[in-house]
Amino acid sequence: MSNQTTINLEINGKAHALAVEPRVTLLDALRDHLELTGTKKGCDQGQCGACTVHVDGERVLSCLTLAVQVEGRAVTTIEGLSDPGAELHPVQAAFLEHDAFQCGYCTPGQIMSAVSCIREGHAGSDDEIREYMSGNLCRCGAYPHIVEAVREAAKVMS
Amino acid sequence: MTIVDTKMKHGDASDGLLGGRLARIDGPVKITGAADYAMEHFPEGMVYAVVIDSTIASGRVVAIDTGSAEAYPGVLLVLTPDNALPIKSATDWTGAPPAEAPFEPLAREVTFAGQHIAAVIAETFEQATAAAALVKVTYDETAPISSFDDPRSGEGFPIDMMTKEWGDAEAALAIAPVRIEQEYRTPREYNVPIEPHGLIARWEGDMLTLWEPSQWIDGMSRTYAEWFGIPFEKVRLLSPYIGGGFGSKAFPARYGAVAAIAAKMLDRPVKLAITRPQTFTAFGGRPATRQTIALGATREGKLLSIVHRSANETSMDDVAVEPLGSVTSIMYAVPNFSSRQNIVPVNTVKPGALRAPGENPSAFGIECAIDELAYEVGIDPLDIRLLNYAEEDPHARKPWSTRRLREAYAAGAEAFGWAKRSPSVRSMREGKQLIGYGVAAGTYPVRRTPGEAMVRILSNGTIEVASSGIDMGQGTYTILAQTAAEAIGVPVETVVVKLGDSSLPRAPVAGGSQLANLMTGAVHVAALAARDELIGLAINDQNSPFRDLQANTLTIEGGQMSSPRDAGSSVAIAEVMRRTGRDRIEALRNTLPENLRNKDDHFRNFTTISTMLSPTEGDYSMHSWCVHFVEVRVDVDFGTVRVSRMVSALDSGRLYNPKLAESQWKGGIIMGIGQALLEEGLVDQRNGHVMNNNLGDYLVPTNADIPDLEVISVGIPDTNASILGGKAVGELAIVGVAPAIANAVYHATGIRVRDLPITLEKLI
Repeated sequence: MSNQTTINLEINGKAHALAVEPRVTLLDALRDHLELTGTKKGCDQGQCGACTVHVDGERVLSCLTLAVQVEGRAVTTIEGLSDPGAELHPVQAAFLEHDAFQCGYCTPGQIMSAVSCIREGHAGSDDEIREYMSGNLCRCGAYPHIVEAVREAAKVMS
Repeated sequence: MTIVDTKMKHGDASDGLLGGRLARIDGPVKITGAADYAMEHFPEGMVYAVVIDSTIASGRVVAIDTGSAEAYPGVLLVLTPDNALPIKSATDWTGAPPAEAPFEPLAREVTFAGQHIAAVIAETFEQATAAAALVKVTYDETAPISSFDDPRSGEGFPIDMMTKEWGDAEAALAIAPVRIEQEYRTPREYNVPIEPHGLIARWEGDMLTLWEPSQWIDGMSRTYAEWFGIPFEKVRLLSPYIGGGFGSKAFPARYGAVAAIAAKMLDRPVKLAITRPQTFTAFGGRPATRQTIALGATREGKLLSIVHRSANETSMDDVAVEPLGSVTSIMYAVPNFSSRQNIVPVNTVKPGALRAPGENPSAFGIECAIDELAYEVGIDPLDIRLLNYAEEDPHARKPWSTRRLREAYAAGAEAFGWAKRSPSVRSMREGKQLIGYGVAAGTYPVRRTPGEAMVRILSNGTIEVASSGIDMGQGTYTILAQTAAEAIGVPVETVVVKLGDSSLPRAPVAGGSQLANLMTGAVHVAALAARDELIGLAINDQNSPFRDLQANTLTIEGGQMSSPRDAGSSVAIAEVMRRTGRDRIEALRNTLPENLRNKDDHFRNFTTISTMLSPTEGDYSMHSWCVHFVEVRVDVDFGTVRVSRMVSALDSGRLYNPKLAESQWKGGIIMGIGQALLEEGLVDQRNGHVMNNNLGDYLVPTNADIPDLEVISVGIPDTNASILGGKAVGELAIVGVAPAIANAVYHATGIRVRDLPITLEKLI
């Protein structure tokens, strides 16, 4: 049962060869094997959105994705959204400015979803933002500020 | 306690001064994924534990077959009550001494579904998870009492300390011209922080290091130390970032003992993360509650009597009290009052604390009841609150320190447009939507425990603030930087705040909305002491650039020191430190009264709640206050309820950072919307299981459930309540939200829902 397989993943533009069992999720591969812990585990059953990452530019739940499924595909995590030391991504900057988080644990997932929400063209109104950001739970209750942040970031990104 | 003369700036400046709207300084690490939460450490040789829970709610574990699991690849240990390293019982959070009997985190006798009975530790998480599924448990099952709705649960037993009585409530009620009596109920509700609970435990000899999210570093460290019979100083608990707690991360849980035991037995660091479903039973949320409230009043709506009888669920083997008379007894002026409370043991995990324990369900009862009285006597729900306004604490018979509730009613009503409300129920409508306006008040007490802080001035001019106090999103890092910056006179960017580490100076629990007030007070006192020492050094040291001025005082502003005698020239703090050859100035200060500064009381102050002052200790009764105005829209065909608009006016005293306080208020309001419309632990009455133990079935608010929220601060500094004038913030704003929504739903529909949540089947 411990049949490990070597997979090649491209995470944030960098190639990683990883020896894992086929049943390892992308989320656990990122957190436990690559120590990229910016992607969060909130429920491990696809219900909270904290583990949201981009695969080939689309938002996916990494807890419901096996690591082997993303071989040969480009994975972007919160760590890859802006270069360390470089300017923040407009969504990150807007989250800071609008205090769109408190504990910060759902925040990477919210930000990854927000980037997609804007790219998908679903930031046209506050109601639309609310709808397309509702896959990401925030128990601290930062929702009104998340809506403000996405609205403002969408202006910057357009 | 030191009386400190402070600058009472109450502005909107976004600079670093206290009261300014500074963005949170821990923000950059949180938005880039760099913040290291507890489960994100990788000590050498770490292995993974998975906990196995009981599938029955009542009975006995007869046998645990571990054979298949032990044979599974990668498995290192299957922990059961039979092979677990024995540990001791620990002092509880109130300071009550430990039981003689050992503490057994894995149960043989089962009293609730989801009780930990075994654990599997393996090289990988996947192996531990798979092997855990192979453990076979045989039970001797007995019929559970699943909830306090089971007739076999009885009436429970009274908690005498909850009894509050004055006048003759029963007699006054009997002769009151107007009488109403109803029962109000709230279900089991859960904390649901998005970071699930768990820990990493590592032993190095007799030194135990724990990475565990914690609302109370010192209290939890004490428990671990006593469990394992090691000195307090031998426990290092690290929790610089916490992914939400809401009351659920203040105490070590049984899985914490399991991880530390396994780590010791295997001599390997053990990571144990409970699953999301386990977060519904590994610790308790808010218990289910019921309250019967009888109001007696004049025909004009003036209260004559309140008779309040209540109960909450507790576990079979322990006492959990959700104080249901806490708001009932102080919100309104009433000459006759009686409140009594029972607790009813059922087969559940021991209930715990969830945002505003007591005040929250208490307000649901009384704030719905007063609304019912308003309709009964035919006056405006806002007017009846003003008619019965309590000018002093009716229970403690003491003046309020500050109670800006009248101002809150006025400001909130104005901003909301309450005057546009049509008095009759079901009289406001847009197409298929019935529109309703509702109002309800809330309150939360000012809890006070002395604090402690270290403030250092380093040679490069950096100011360092250190405390084991924590920041789970309330803004502790930020407001303590602002406090130190203002007290010393430096730009806030030069302040570094270190929190959440048991090796730092002590702090009491981050609970009861007390931490911001006690920590800003302690940091203020320590920072002034450091500043005084720096000024003394600059005046007296023979190498100081100020030596020749013969000044007897100096000022510090923007990190620059100057003398009133030579205002033109100023010298940076770093330069003064360099010239005088000092590498640091440090001041460790606490705000303990003289009689508690001995070693034992100091330890007790930070590791138990035994020194926490009640809100009525002293000359005043001290509370935060708020009022919520709600507009709901109820679909006339489907009964779906949407909160479409909300204005809240709140008195939390002085706000140290309005930007962050507003976020906390809104967070509480949103949790209150969830409580009103969505949240309900569904218990299978046949077997005591919490059926909806996941985030797809236990519904918490999503972004689409929440409208724009307007919050208005009506507070003024209250220096009776705290050194720098703040009152409770974090737990306040949820209180009163659910009754405001229930009242609005009644106004919209004419249907009074007295049992939360208000779901559509109750409206059609």
